Amino acid sequence: MTFRWQRALTVAKREYLTTVRRKAFVLTLVGTPLFYAVIMVVMIKPQIDESLKAMREFRAMGVVDSSGLFTHAPEEIALEINAESISLRSGTPEPSLPKGSFITRIRRFSDPKDALTALEQGELKQVLVIPPDYLEHGRVRRYASTENVFNDGGQERPVNRWLTRGLLAGRGLDSLVAERAARPARAMEVFTKNRDGAWAQRDDASEIFEFLVPFIAGLLLSISILIGGQYLLQGVSEEKESRILESMLCTLTPEDLVMGKLIGLGGAGLTLVGSWILVLAGFSGTAAIAAKVSIPPIVLGLMVAYFLLGYLFYASLMTGIGAITNNMREAQQFSFMFTFMNFVPFYMMTTLVGHPESPLAVGLSMFPPTAPVSMLLRVASPSSHVPAWQILLSLTLLAATAYLALRAAAKIFRIGLLLYGKTPTLPEIVRWLRTA
Amino acid sequence: MLQVREVVKTYDGRPVVNRVSFDVEAGEIFALLGPNGAGKTTLIRMITDILKPDSGTIQLDGHAVTDAKRPEIAYLPEERGLYRKSKVLEVLSYYGRLKGMRGPDANRNATRLLERVGLAEWAQKPVMALSKGMQQKVQLCTALIGDPRLLILDEPFSGLDPINVQLLEDVLRERRAAGTTILLSTHQMNKVEEQCDRALMINRGHMVLYGKVGEMRTRYSDHAVRVRGAAIPDAVPGVLSSVPHGADVVMKLEPSATPAAVLRALLDRGAQVESYSVETLPLEDLFVKVVHEGLGLDRGQSGPPTMDEILVGVGR
Repeated sequence: MTFRWQRALTVAKREYLTTVRRKAFVLTLVGTPLFYAVIMVVMIKPQIDESLKAMREFRAMGVVDSSGLFTHAPEEIALEINAESISLRSGTPEPSLPKGSFITRIRRFSDPKDALTALEQGELKQVLVIPPDYLEHGRVRRYASTENVFNDGGQERPVNRWLTRGLLAGRGLDSLVAERAARPARAMEVFTKNRDGAWAQRDDASEIFEFLVPFIAGLLLSISILIGGQYLLQGVSEEKESRILESMLCTLTPEDLVMGKLIGLGGAGLTLVGSWILVLAGFSGTAAIAAKVSIPPIVLGLMVAYFLLGYLFYASLMTGIGAITNNMREAQQFSFMFTFMNFVPFYMMTTLVGHPESPLAVGLSMFPPTAPVSMLLRVASPSSHVPAWQILLSLTLLAATAYLALRAAAKIFRIGLLLYGKTPTLPEIVRWLRTA
Repeated sequence: MLQVREVVKTYDGRPVVNRVSFDVEAGEIFALLGPNGAGKTTLIRMITDILKPDSGTIQLDGHAVTDAKRPEIAYLPEERGLYRKSKVLEVLSYYGRLKGMRGPDANRNATRLLERVGLAEWAQKPVMALSKGMQQKVQLCTALIGDPRLLILDEPFSGLDPINVQLLEDVLRERRAAGTTILLSTHQMNKVEEQCDRALMINRGHMVLYGKVGEMRTRYSDHAVRVRGAAIPDAVPGVLSSVPHGADVVMKLEPSATPAAVLRALLDRGAQVESYSVETLPLEDLFVKVVHEGLGLDRGQSGPPTMDEILVGVGR
C-alpha cells in the first residue's frame, strides 16, 4: 500500500481537533501567556514603581561642599522619567519642562551633621558630602535614605553631571561648552559595514529586531519541537497503550498515519506557539515598524524552510520513540536526549552570533539536529556573511536526514506498535529498519 | 476469493509461518484454527498487508492486496482498542472516512451500524462510558463500516455475554447472506462447528488440517454410533463395545461394520430406537488431539503429516 494524502489528512484532522479541544490545551493556550503576564507585572511593575517613587521623592539633596569648588553649581537637578538623558538646569524650573519630570532642589550645609539630621528627619532624600581634598582624590560620600536593599536611592548619573556642571560653573566657560562637558555625546551616530559591505549608520533598534526575528524563529522552532514532540509522544504512546493501531493499519499505511500525526499534532503545537507569537507580535509590532525593520525575503524564506525541515526531522524522531516505548514515561526518558540536542545552539549562541564563520558555528549549522537553529542564528548575526553554498548544503543535509527519519519512523511505527510490553534493543530496531 | 500460497514468515531465523497454502471461497465463513503461538495472527497480518511474507504470495481475486483492494478487507484484531475519550459515533465515522467514505456517508453508515448492534442511544457518549461488551460491539462496527467484501475477525466472541454472542452470530449470518466472505479465527470450537464451512488448522506455523469442518470431524472420529431408545441389547454384531452416555449409548464399531448394518441388527433384535446418529469427533477434541499428539492422527503416531492427512475434502 502506498502513501495517500487523503488518508493522512483525515488522520491529521482528527488528531488536530481532538488535541485542540482538550481542556489541557485550552488551559495551556490561555494560561501560559497569562502566567507570564502576571509574572511580568508582579516582577517589573514594582521595580518601575520603585524608580518612580524614588524620583518623585527625590525633592531635595543636601550638599556639604568642603572643597569650595561648587559655589556656582546649579541649584536644581531636573530628572526626566522616560529619557536616558537627565537634564540639569540652574535657576527656577522652566514651565516647559516635559511631563514626567521632577525637580530636585539643592540645599547647602556647612556641617555634615546638620545635613544628616535633615536627612534623618525626612527633609532631604540624599546628602552629598564633598571633602576638602576632592580635587586630588575625586572621592565623595553620598548618604541616601532608602529602606530597599536593592535600591541605593538611584540618581548617581544626574548627581555626577551636577558635579561636572558645578566644577565648570563660574569659570568663564561658554554654557554650551559646559553642557557638552557634562554630556559629551548626547547622540553618537555609529557607522558600520552592512551585509553588502557598504558603510551604513547603525540603527540599534532595527538591528535588534532584525536579529530578534530569526532568533525568535529559532526559539519558536525549539519550543514547537518541545510541545509538538510531547503531543506526538503522548499520541503515539496512547495509541500503543490502547492498542488501536492494528485495526487501522488494515485501512491505511504507517506512512499515512505517521504523516497525519505529524501534521495534526504538530499543527496543534504550532497553533499554541503561533497564538502566543501573534499576541507578542501585537504588542511589539508597533515597535518593530517604528524601528524600520526590514527582514530580507531570503532570511524569511530560510526561516520557513528550516522550520519545516527541522520540525519534520524532530517529529519523526519523536514518533519513532513513541512507537518503541511502552508508555509516556519511558518515551519522555528516551526523548530527552534529542530535545536537549535541539537546544544546544542556544548554549553556543555566543560563538554562533559572535563568530558566525568559526568552524564550530559552521559545523553546528551543518549537523542536521542542530542545523535549523544554528543556521538561523548565524544568518541573523549582524556580522555574518554566510556563503550560499553552506546554506544549500545545510538545507540538503537536513532535508535528506528528515526524509530518512520519516521513513525510519514509519518502519519502526509499523512494527513497534504491534509489539506490546517489550522495548526493542538497538540491533532489533536496526533489523526492523532493514526488513520492514 | 483469497488465495494464500506457500507463505513463509521467519522471526530471528525461526519460521513462524511455514509454507502455508489455502483458499477462502467467496461467501463462505472460513475458520483459521490453532493453539496460541501457532502463527494465526502473523498469517492474518500478512493477509492484511501489515506484515510482508518472506516468500509466497497472497492474492485477493487473483491480485496482490494493493490500495485498490484494501477497502474490500476489514480486520478486527484480537488486540484491539478504541479512542477512549472520543464519542462513539465520531470513532466509527473516523474509520468510515479512513476507508474513503465522505463525512455524511460515514456518519449515516455508523448510525445504521450502531442501531443494528443496539447502541444507537450511546452514539454521542464517550467510548470510556461504555461497558467492555458494548465497546466490543463498537469494535465490531469499526470492522463492518464500509461493507467490506472480506471480513477478518480474530477472536470476536471473547468477552461477550451469551446475548451478545447471539447478536454477533446473527450479524455474521446477515453479512454472509449479503455476500461477505468471513475469515474467523477463534478458540471457540463450537462456534466453528455452527458457523463455518471450512477450516484451516495450523500448529507451530505448519498446516495440520485443512478442509470441510464436517468431514474433518467424521474422518478423525472413533467409528462409533450414538443410540437412544429402549431395549437396547448388550451384544450386537459389528459392535466392539457399548458405553452409556446419559440417556444414550455410544457403540464403537468394528472396522468392517457399517452404521447401517448395526442399525439393522439392533432393530432385528427388538430394540426400540428413538434416535440413531453417527458419532463425529467434536472439533474441540480434534483440536486437542492435533496439538497434543502431533500430526499423524490416523497413523497412531506423531510426526510430520502427509498431504492426505492435511487435506480433508479438498481436491489436490
